[in-house]
Amino acid sequence: MPAVEVIEAAREVTLDEVESALVVAFRRARVALNNGRAVVVLVREEDLLGHGDPPAAAVAGALVGLVRALATEGVRNDWRVNALATTDAVSASDRSEWIDRLSDVHGASGVVVRLGQLHLGRLSV
Amino acid sequence: MTDAAVLTGAAGALGRAITDRLAAQESAVVLVDRDRAVEEVAADLRARGHRAVGAIADLGGPDPAAAVLEALDREGWIPRVLVNNAGINRDARAMTMSEDDFAAVIRVDLVAPARLAEVLQPRMSDSGVIVNVASRAALGSFGQANYVAAKSGLIALTRALALRWAPRIRVNAVAPGLIDTPMTAGMPEEVLNKLVARVPAGRMGTPHEVAEIVAFLVSPAASYITGQVLLACGGRSIAP
Repeated sequence: MPAVEVIEAAREVTLDEVESALVVAFRRARVALNNGRAVVVLVREEDLLGHGDPPAAAVAGALVGLVRALATEGVRNDWRVNALATTDAVSASDRSEWIDRLSDVHGASGVVVRLGQLHLGRLSV
Repeated sequence: MTDAAVLTGAAGALGRAITDRLAAQESAVVLVDRDRAVEEVAADLRARGHRAVGAIADLGGPDPAAAVLEALDREGWIPRVLVNNAGINRDARAMTMSEDDFAAVIRVDLVAPARLAEVLQPRMSDSGVIVNVASRAALGSFGQANYVAAKSGLIALTRALALRWAPRIRVNAVAPGLIDTPMTAGMPEEVLNKLVARVPAGRMGTPHEVAEIVAFLVSPAASYITGQVLLACGGRSIAP
């Protein structure tokens, strides 16, 4: 079993699918953390910034919130749960490298790493 | 035709404060809540000379917008303002939280606001405004994985809707921190004192203070603001 659970937000999601997508992510993250594995959530930067469809933005934002919530609870247990936001311009190898980094580093949890340039000059909580 | 403001969660402490503020500012209000007490809130406003109706709706149900549309159609009102204030909590540590409780909070606090906005948007008058009541907890909070996810999603949704419907409709969010409501009044005193100690303002916020922000965001004074989230947390979000 790999040491990291990678949870990737679907590229297309309808409002009817938002709830089930998040429940599945919650389930997978809990199982992984319970088994001592790291969690990396992958979202599209466009969705996090609200540039895509509203349901996709809702899911991306909620997944980042889930990362923060689980990281807050996992401080004593050394849970490693982070998020990686990427654009289509980011290469697969760069993405893969950052997944490895985020899953292997101790002392970093609840972090959102943003690859690409889309976040520059833009504000997102 | 009369422009109206639609407010969800109108029977709660925060909802009542927002109701009072909106009634003073808008031509008419539709007050939405699953609690039948919302009818009393509407009756109280009518007794004070405002145009107000109640709409009882379960936002976690299959068609959360039906009662709202029925009220608007019955009165012949056009929605200009939507305030998505309703929300629920089902707190528990992540490892013991049931999936049903996780899903329920996502459904009411995230999906229902999106659905209401989607349904009302085509009917909204130009210069329409939507305000989503998020939470400072979106930045992270212990024992609230469902609530944090829902409110963080609501903030991202706010940005997406703001871009999609600009320039006709402005969409913003307010993210309150610790607010003095019956829910916080029910907390053990030592827990509440610890939470207040983390707030640089040195106290809880009041529902009135949040209502003032909502009133500002829906007013022409905020006409150049869209896609933003305003944290009303007494500085908690920047505190060490």
